[in-house]
Amino acid sequence: MKHRGTKTAALLAAGMLLVAACGGDDESASTTAAPESSAVETSAAPDTSAAVETTAAPETSAAPETTAAPAAWAVNTDDCVDPEAANAPIEGTVKIGSAMPLSGGVAAAAFAPVKDGFDAYVKFANEKGLLPGYSIELTIEDDQYNAELTPGAVAKQIDAGVNLFSGIIGSPNNAAVRDVLNDECIPQLNALTGSPKWGEVADYPWTTGLLVPYTVESAVYAAQIAELFPDGATVSLFHVNNEFGQIYADAFTEIAGDYNLEILGTQTIEPTDSNPPTSQITTIAGEKPDVIMAVPLGAGCIGFLTELANAKAQNAGWDPKVFITNTCASSLILGAAGAAADGLYTSNNLLDINDPAIQAQPAVAEYIAYMDGLGKKDIITTAAAGWTAGEITVAILKQAAESPEGLTRASIINAARNFTIEPSLARPGVVDKMDGEADPFLAESLVVVQYDADTATFTDVGELITSFES
Amino acid sequence: MKSLVTIREGSAGHWALRLFAAAIVVGVLIWVPTRAGNGTISSATEALTLMCAAMALNLVLGFTGQISLGHSAFYGIGAYATGICVSRWGWSPWWTFPVAFVVAFVVGVLVSLPASRIKGVYLALVTLSLALVFPNFLRWKKVAWLTGGGPGLPNKDSQVQTTGFDIGRKQGQMRRFEIFGWDPFGDLRSLEAKTAFYYWIAAVVAIVVYVVCRGVVKSRAGRALVAVRDNETAAAVMGVNLVATKAFVFGISAGLCALPGSVTAIRVGSVSPDIASLTIIGSLTFLILMVIGGAGSLWGPVIGSVLYVFVTDRTGSWADDDSVPALLRPFFGWSKIPPGAGIFSVLLIVLMFVAPLGLVGLWKRQSPRLVRVLPRPAGTGTVAAVGGADTLGALVPETNQHHEGETS
Repeated sequence: MKHRGTKTAALLAAGMLLVAACGGDDESASTTAAPESSAVETSAAPDTSAAVETTAAPETSAAPETTAAPAAWAVNTDDCVDPEAANAPIEGTVKIGSAMPLSGGVAAAAFAPVKDGFDAYVKFANEKGLLPGYSIELTIEDDQYNAELTPGAVAKQIDAGVNLFSGIIGSPNNAAVRDVLNDECIPQLNALTGSPKWGEVADYPWTTGLLVPYTVESAVYAAQIAELFPDGATVSLFHVNNEFGQIYADAFTEIAGDYNLEILGTQTIEPTDSNPPTSQITTIAGEKPDVIMAVPLGAGCIGFLTELANAKAQNAGWDPKVFITNTCASSLILGAAGAAADGLYTSNNLLDINDPAIQAQPAVAEYIAYMDGLGKKDIITTAAAGWTAGEITVAILKQAAESPEGLTRASIINAARNFTIEPSLARPGVVDKMDGEADPFLAESLVVVQYDADTATFTDVGELITSFES
Repeated sequence: MKSLVTIREGSAGHWALRLFAAAIVVGVLIWVPTRAGNGTISSATEALTLMCAAMALNLVLGFTGQISLGHSAFYGIGAYATGICVSRWGWSPWWTFPVAFVVAFVVGVLVSLPASRIKGVYLALVTLSLALVFPNFLRWKKVAWLTGGGPGLPNKDSQVQTTGFDIGRKQGQMRRFEIFGWDPFGDLRSLEAKTAFYYWIAAVVAIVVYVVCRGVVKSRAGRALVAVRDNETAAAVMGVNLVATKAFVFGISAGLCALPGSVTAIRVGSVSPDIASLTIIGSLTFLILMVIGGAGSLWGPVIGSVLYVFVTDRTGSWADDDSVPALLRPFFGWSKIPPGAGIFSVLLIVLMFVAPLGLVGLWKRQSPRLVRVLPRPAGTGTVAAVGGADTLGALVPETNQHHEGETS
């Protein structure tokens, strides 16, 4: 019996080794070789010294100024399962659906304020009559950040007569319903992820994204690193091992050569791993890079920064520049990391709500007062993303309602893809626009910022980068 | 305990009762995709998928008494078997079901090897490690060439940009599904057709899993399973081969648990280690469904799954005061997150007190007040031998009645 068990174990081990041997050594490939030089996806390296566009921020209310671009792009509803429904006028109440992680652990804790911000703006828009002739109804289903549950959540809302979806969180979650929403010709606006997938206009005309594409963000960081180290720099990558982290890592690796950056190694952390990444940081500390490019997720941001602070304390004289994804750039997360977050670089295109000077601006003051009225002042920094998603959604609806076709599902997606807006909580100079297939991404402007842990505020580093907006 | 009606097993009355129950099940199965909305169909599909996994777990835990917390890994093997075969090699999703079954069966048999030596909490720990290791194995860079690593499948190297049926608007994509020229769903691009299509796949898989489970449980092998559960030593003395029995039940259970994993890969169109059912959360969910419905009962996992999906579905948007029904607002209005998980936790605690054998156990305990089914006397093979001519509702003296465990 014992002999048989040993044999089986040996066979199993041999099988595992065989499987491992068949695989390519991705790790060594990505850690040792500097990537081939290749053009940035957006064709030009960002010009960080470009002058800031001088467009003034909206003056008084959270209602954005919108400019209708020429309607060069129009969706073809002949491909729809029911073309008539896609062109049928929407009357009375516009029903917006969404699916977000409202429960289910770390993701829910991180994203719940986004839901509150979105919800708050819809209430605000109804009270202020920002969509004349219509009331807006928002329902958000809980998908627990689990792509298995998103199709059911969306189907349930379609049954309830939802006219469009907006602000679905998560790349796999949006991808899980992209086919059905495009076949049914129901607008899937403002996917709250930065995956480049949302720019595939020809195949998925009814799906748009809201966040700055991760590829753009990576390019912005690479440009900033090149500015800090004109003679080239060594970089260690640290990223969460899922689609989100992989997109950053691939994009950064692809363009690193263009900016004379040498990637020394890549360390990963599992999205479900709540332990601090001690061994990964130790490895990075051993590489002694000039820069660490980090893409952790949620609470992993805190663990990464804390562990890095420990490593720096143990390696006197080593003080790398740290660039971290802007999904970590909330005062909730960085505040929890404390002094360990001091001096890190990240990026943003929204105003720093925590800055007292910014809070005095009329649009921000109005936002804060409204959230305060709802008893949600404690989450105003993270909720700003949801508020902005709501603002952009309502602005698209307004533009569609004012179009010659009136408010229909088709006119909504046409408006979304021919759209320009200066969100009320965005930094001065940020002009988000989409232009059919020519410019399939809405938000592409960013400024690199540096965090000050003492004041819990961000300081701009360089100018707003708008060159990715075509 | 007095009963309103007492009938003999195998009598016309008993058959009428069985047919009535079967008609209800078949009626619901057909009503959902033909009359209900897309949301309900999707929820039913989810329930069918979960109940398959719970039924598979029930074979190992409920009937054999072997604690397994590793069934999420078997579920994941099914999902990845389909994901890899479809997206990497362009297979038809149909052909991936047998592959998923066979691969999971082999892994299940391997897992049974420690089960032959250890039991109880130690076996639970071994299987728990399987559930914990499996998602990390999928993310392992050395096997990312196959599994797609952390981002999962499909990826940029995939032949097809889905792990399910390539349904859509583009040239070459599937638009209709025909069975020998019969087109039961119409334009598969429409939500109605698509949800019904996935529903029927899940329904057929659930029926297959149920029939196999029933076949195993009612067979000689099933009696061996129960014997092992009740007393391993006694079972061995009676001639039950413990190692072979455990290997068989772990293998068949793992294979069956892989089938709903395949359904998920087909329905969602992608697989990744982040899918909750592939993690320890999946194992715990399957376990809770089985316990709430009733471990050791064929219908327990079915009841548990339907209840679980119903509760989470109804409470999915209860994240603030406005969305909670007024009557329930005092109980759940304070919650900032949907209370589905909380409701189920409370239900679980309550059931452990009032119905430790689950809802089916509770029904079995209470149902004799309405209908009591008397078993055939031992040693009689035919209905006629015990008075099969009994008509519907034939009354039998109370003094001869015995408790009947499994009425289905």
